[in-house]
Amino acid sequence: MADRKTDIGPPHYEKFLPPIIKANYGKWKHHEIVKPGVLMHVGQSGDKLFSVRAATPRLVSTVTIRLFADIAEEFCDGHLRWTSRNNVEFLISDSSKVDPCVARLTKEGYPVGGTGPGITNIVHTQGWVHCHSAATDASGVVKAVMDELFPYFNDKKLPAKLRIAFACCLNMCGAVHCSDISILGVHRKAPVVNHEQMNKMCEIPSTVAACPTGAIRPATVDGNQSVEVIEEQCMFCANCYTVCPAMTLNDPINDGLSIWVGGKVSQARSEPMFSKLAIPFIPNEPPRWPTTVAAVKNIVEVYAAHANNYERMGEWIERIGWPRFFDMTGIEFTKLHIDDFSHAGETYQRSVHFKRV
Amino acid sequence: MSANVDDVAGDMFDMVKEYHGKKNLKALDLSKAMIIKYGAEECDKKLCKLAIRQLIDSGKCTYSYVGGSYIVLPPDS
Amino acid sequence: MATKRETPLLDELMTGPWPSFVKEIKLSADDGKDAASDLLGVLEKSYNERIGHWKHGGIVGVMGYGGGVIGRYNDLPEEFPAVAHFHTIRVNQPSGWFYTADVLRKICDIWDKHGSGITNMHGSTGDMVLLGCNTDALEPVFAELTEIGFDLGGSGSDMRTPSCCCGEARCEWACYDTMAACHDITMHFQDELHRPAFPYKWKFKFSGCSNDCVASIARSDCSVIGTWSDDIQVDDAAIKEYADGKQVDIAQDVVRLCPTGCISFDGSKLAIDNADCVRCMHCINVMPKALAPGKERGATILIGAKAPIIGGALLASVMVPFLPMEAPYDDLKELAEAIWDLWGEHGKNRERVGEFIQRIGLGNFLEQIGLEPTPEMVAHPRTNPYIFFELGEEDGEE
Repeated sequence: MADRKTDIGPPHYEKFLPPIIKANYGKWKHHEIVKPGVLMHVGQSGDKLFSVRAATPRLVSTVTIRLFADIAEEFCDGHLRWTSRNNVEFLISDSSKVDPCVARLTKEGYPVGGTGPGITNIVHTQGWVHCHSAATDASGVVKAVMDELFPYFNDKKLPAKLRIAFACCLNMCGAVHCSDISILGVHRKAPVVNHEQMNKMCEIPSTVAACPTGAIRPATVDGNQSVEVIEEQCMFCANCYTVCPAMTLNDPINDGLSIWVGGKVSQARSEPMFSKLAIPFIPNEPPRWPTTVAAVKNIVEVYAAHANNYERMGEWIERIGWPRFFDMTGIEFTKLHIDDFSHAGETYQRSVHFKRV
Repeated sequence: MSANVDDVAGDMFDMVKEYHGKKNLKALDLSKAMIIKYGAEECDKKLCKLAIRQLIDSGKCTYSYVGGSYIVLPPDS
Repeated sequence: MATKRETPLLDELMTGPWPSFVKEIKLSADDGKDAASDLLGVLEKSYNERIGHWKHGGIVGVMGYGGGVIGRYNDLPEEFPAVAHFHTIRVNQPSGWFYTADVLRKICDIWDKHGSGITNMHGSTGDMVLLGCNTDALEPVFAELTEIGFDLGGSGSDMRTPSCCCGEARCEWACYDTMAACHDITMHFQDELHRPAFPYKWKFKFSGCSNDCVASIARSDCSVIGTWSDDIQVDDAAIKEYADGKQVDIAQDVVRLCPTGCISFDGSKLAIDNADCVRCMHCINVMPKALAPGKERGATILIGAKAPIIGGALLASVMVPFLPMEAPYDDLKELAEAIWDLWGEHGKNRERVGEFIQRIGLGNFLEQIGLEPTPEMVAHPRTNPYIFFELGEEDGEE
């Protein structure tokens, strides 16, 4: 262990900053969107930095990273960064290089956009590409949805920013619970217990303790120390599966997607909001998930047609009221939309201040 | 009782062996047990941390993950 | 050499304007990565069967660390041998995700030599994710990464890799140096990052203003959101330029949308009643050339956000209304350590700190970590009369 290098931490970011950023660090004056996907930041010094923002599918090959490195070298001395939404940005100080850089990225198939009031990249999870608990694929749905909503990435404007997030199970690796539109993979079948493996793979007490609704209890099945599941009490959270691999929930028929609306993390105007349930279940339809794509597009278009400027999805719905949201989108409101977990009563309408359809 | 890193790491190792196959132990379970055994005066959290590091770096134990991180015997032991 | 996989379903995701992840996997397969070929095979099978084929990880990692590697195995190792092991390596990204062409090529060299050639730029928490390698490859990848100055990120019950917005590097709205704070905290807590010792995960996220570009209020146990304690800076000349109404209708887009109604505009001059301002950023977002955060800058520290598993999703809540954010950030470090001590002692397995606070009560939590309660911490005082009075000697207990 002696000659082993550990705990060195990440490299210091300063090594990777372009000279124009070092010179203007903490001294930026303002910024504007020059055209879709191109930001111009102006320093107090008068220096101008152009950031060219391009879409990526998040899952990228080293072949593509090397391509981005080459493009960065050609147009901006090798300086680039990624955004919190998986876009890549090329940091250009010579304004004459902006258009050629945009043209090159477009030609290579990494379109430029994602700035201003519109739709940018969907933050998402691993799905069937890599995850053991996924109720769906992530990359495939994201690709299909973004192909359909592509005009809003590029030049078509919306009333405000519209942030979409995708998670392939309730673990929600991503801010799915606070997005204008969230697409969330759901299981709908209680776990199938592998009784033979149970005692070898898992600790029975911690498996029992993992269930938030107390639906799991110890049991001896065919001579094996195991557990049984009270199916009516299961809410398909998969917490038991996370602590015990012998409790599988993945199911080809019953797994699928749900759609949630009206969340945000930004505190501009209104406080941050959780996303709320719009559509409880849509079956998995690989490879292009047409029902899900159409459902998302419908919500976006109704919002685009009716929201005021600067009004995020959740703010628009608060203004018009949920009855009108369901009416205008044509989405059916069901028993499943009514909360029945802890503090559910807080979501009941306890006044006559509801808006008419 | 006086405590040093080697003793505490040794006791922790015995505890992991004893619970092997019965209960997965977390770093905190080991630390709490040692603080009770030696008393907080002799054996504080910092010493426990060093002992866990020795236990892992020596290869006698390893980290595992089953919905949370645990300290266990290496798979081949 | 892996079998070339036929992928008729996945091929339908090769068309359309949005960049295709299938194309990316194929680029790696064509680059000679057997794991990428077999990944295409197993994914095509998932698309046919509508079910995943990955198993839990268990015990896999680099020597000495309990975090940074996510073990993953395929349940069809004979059919897809090149992805029988398909472990993920989380590489701690530099603050703000800034790179140079050179350093990216070095990382690619390592991953091309030992792994699938497939990455995520970046994972949900912020790490650079190297997606898919054999157990045997972990140690060489780690050794070569540290040679070029990179280290692993977090996973499991540890401090997860902190992340931040680009802050002062490229944003006039940043109220503190997010990249410096993120780097400092990451370096200071290397042990907590690499050696899991918490009841469950802990995330730090640093946003320079309340636009919160890294979603800290929704996603981090400790959310550090830039803010100011004095008045919004107004450039009257620039307001006059906006007043022509070409870019912005000040009455409609700014005054009317201010959540506290603290802005007034007489057609040429903007007045703000800063005592009523909640620093939401809307007016500044709309008129970036005329308005700016105040000069007394710092951050609000909020604690306890999380996704639903297991007690339901939570947004973070206010713990320190205003903290000047200056290196070496001792106040923030001491606060985190005080919370870790308490939560470490009394938290249950897989209980996030937000759930822990709900269980024991915010009032008790504050008392234990040594913070005075303030009205900024609650939306309003309690509405129920069930008060746990604690009578002391001076209260004249009977």
